[in-house]
Amino acid sequence: MSDAAATLTHDRQRLELSALSAPAVVFTVAMIAFPVIYTVWLGFQSFSSTGKQSYVGLANYARLVSDHEFWHGLWVTIALYVLSLALQLVLGVWLALVLFHAKRLPGIVRSLFISPFMMPPVVAGMMWLVILDPSLGAANYILQSLGLPPSEWLASPTWVIPTVALIDTWQWTPYVALIVLGGLQSLPPSVYEAAQIDGASPFKTFQRITLPLLLPTIVTAAILRSVDLLRFFDIIYITTQGGPGNASNTLNIYGFRVGFEFFNIGYASALMLTLTAIVFGAVLACNRLRGAVAW
Amino acid sequence: MNARMFAARVALPALAVFAVCSDGRAADFDWKKFQGKTVTFLANNNPVAQALLAYKDDFEKQTGMTLKVDGYQEQQMRQRLVTVMNAHSDEVDVFMTLPSREGEQFAAAGWYADLSAMAKNDVAKEYDPAGLSQALLKAATFGGKLTSMPMNIEGPIFYYRTDIFKKCGIEQPKTIKDVQAAAEKIKACDSSVTPFVSRGLKPAIAYTFSNMLHNIGGSYVAGGKSNLCSAKGKEALDTYSRLLRDFGPPGVVNYSFQQISALYRSGRAAMSFESSNELRTVMDGGARLKDTALIPFPAGEAGQVPTVIGWGMAVSSHSKQPDAAWYFVQWATSPAVQKKMALQGIAPPRPSVASDPEYRKWIDEEPVRKEWQAALDVLATKGSSEVGYPIVANPESREFIGQAVQDLILKQKTVDQACADADKALDALIAQK
Repeated sequence: MSDAAATLTHDRQRLELSALSAPAVVFTVAMIAFPVIYTVWLGFQSFSSTGKQSYVGLANYARLVSDHEFWHGLWVTIALYVLSLALQLVLGVWLALVLFHAKRLPGIVRSLFISPFMMPPVVAGMMWLVILDPSLGAANYILQSLGLPPSEWLASPTWVIPTVALIDTWQWTPYVALIVLGGLQSLPPSVYEAAQIDGASPFKTFQRITLPLLLPTIVTAAILRSVDLLRFFDIIYITTQGGPGNASNTLNIYGFRVGFEFFNIGYASALMLTLTAIVFGAVLACNRLRGAVAW
Repeated sequence: MNARMFAARVALPALAVFAVCSDGRAADFDWKKFQGKTVTFLANNNPVAQALLAYKDDFEKQTGMTLKVDGYQEQQMRQRLVTVMNAHSDEVDVFMTLPSREGEQFAAAGWYADLSAMAKNDVAKEYDPAGLSQALLKAATFGGKLTSMPMNIEGPIFYYRTDIFKKCGIEQPKTIKDVQAAAEKIKACDSSVTPFVSRGLKPAIAYTFSNMLHNIGGSYVAGGKSNLCSAKGKEALDTYSRLLRDFGPPGVVNYSFQQISALYRSGRAAMSFESSNELRTVMDGGARLKDTALIPFPAGEAGQVPTVIGWGMAVSSHSKQPDAAWYFVQWATSPAVQKKMALQGIAPPRPSVASDPEYRKWIDEEPVRKEWQAALDVLATKGSSEVGYPIVANPESREFIGQAVQDLILKQKTVDQACADADKALDALIAQK
């Protein structure tokens, strides 16, 4: 076949492939683009309590700046994000190491370790709501049995963020562990053999070999959890609805209430687009970090 | 306008109209008129809807229509409704609504079809629209338009443990001050129980707090301004929050009906101020059946002004078949269906059903049911449907009431600060109209 004929065949194949995949591409773009564009449009509108709509330009975004509840929500969102992510990464790596080294652990025990993240968040929220009830829950019963003072858990403005972070950590640490476990299993054994020959202690081996080699995997887990944590909603809504007071009122909860309880869809859209921008920012930052630690 | 004034000014003339009109048209009425049509019902998956939908097949058999049920939990139902109505979609024909909460708002948005004409002109002989609670019909009337038909009657009532009261030498409370005194005595007499429990969860507080405010003689609005910082308003805020802070369970700021009923049913609360709808839950298992008494919330300086509300069935203004939708509403709020629901513990919004022999027999089976019905009778005759501010942004107003109460329970503000902050935010909401 001549070069010209080969190029023609190649071009034709590309055209056919493009034509065949076009419907799927159009559908996917439409499914993603339409809601985003519609939300952007809504962010420029004002809806009265009765649903009457008017164009207000950037007024919704200007309102954000002076809205105390927005800044409080942002603080709560970031506090929950940082606390939960730190706990999940540390405990996730630890759990992965346990599962990696405990080769004889029965399958059922391994399944139990990773079962929390298979539970729907609403169910997890309901379960913890009952356990942490200050009067009827098991948590305070256990504390008091050990001679410790009871806690108000989710009902305390001081403790609600750490408590919600603990619930999320309980649910999602196994997910992080599973990702890290995959990373551990792909590490080259030769490096460990060399370290063993050189007489490195287990701690030094972890510090100098395992952790640096695992960093790209850990950052990947951090990216996945970041997206979820910044738009954390279900467990908070089930357990506290943003309370007590506004102590756990994240941006997501605040936006939901503004939109669907107070029917101000325009301002809620502005809030949610701002949150989306924050999520994108966090993901971009993590991606850069991932590039920096790649090996 | 209270229920009695309403009865004199509006209900009696309406009764006459209904009586004249409905008899005239009853002969033409045909339940099979819309045979073959499908009506979509957006339902709140609560005990009221569950009791109703147990008879879904009866409706389909009686009318030849198909009933498509779109059921969600309460908040998700509203979320779906907002989406559907904002899109002017005809996906929903009939939806459940709480006129005391969203009535002003939905009516102003034009989401309700006006049922006035249908309730007069297109009714079966046995329907008896005038037999429905006039107070609830009034609560569902906005700008002269009847927006929904009542499905049930409910309100917060006072549950208390007769055995603990006897042990501690306490009489049945007659006033709010008696409730406070009883809580003090129980705290000293039996430290194993929570003396008093009611709603402390921010969005849920207005339901019970409104009863306290009205009993004390306060009002939400005076002269077009928020009135929480009035002497009565501050007294209500102080009394309600102090009862929960000093005598309530730990973590009461997260308490709504589920937690309250669980605490009381388990025997760990001596007094509970919670919805009449919770009777079945509270009595579940039978442990509280013999040691509980029920009364409307004790009187304040203004006497007893209990909160009374009810779920209603509304026809969507975007429905393409409002007449067929009305048939479903009519069937669901008919005396026969409401009697069946009443036998499942759904308090009927019809006095005729409440006095039906079969229902009376069910009521008479347990003393606690008799007290429950007696309390509901007081709610029906003396009740006010004002839960939160009587403004379009009623749901949002409940947030600020709840915030003020929570600030006091958590000792984050003084009464003066809490009411002033709430009044400032609520004045802005009132001004929005």
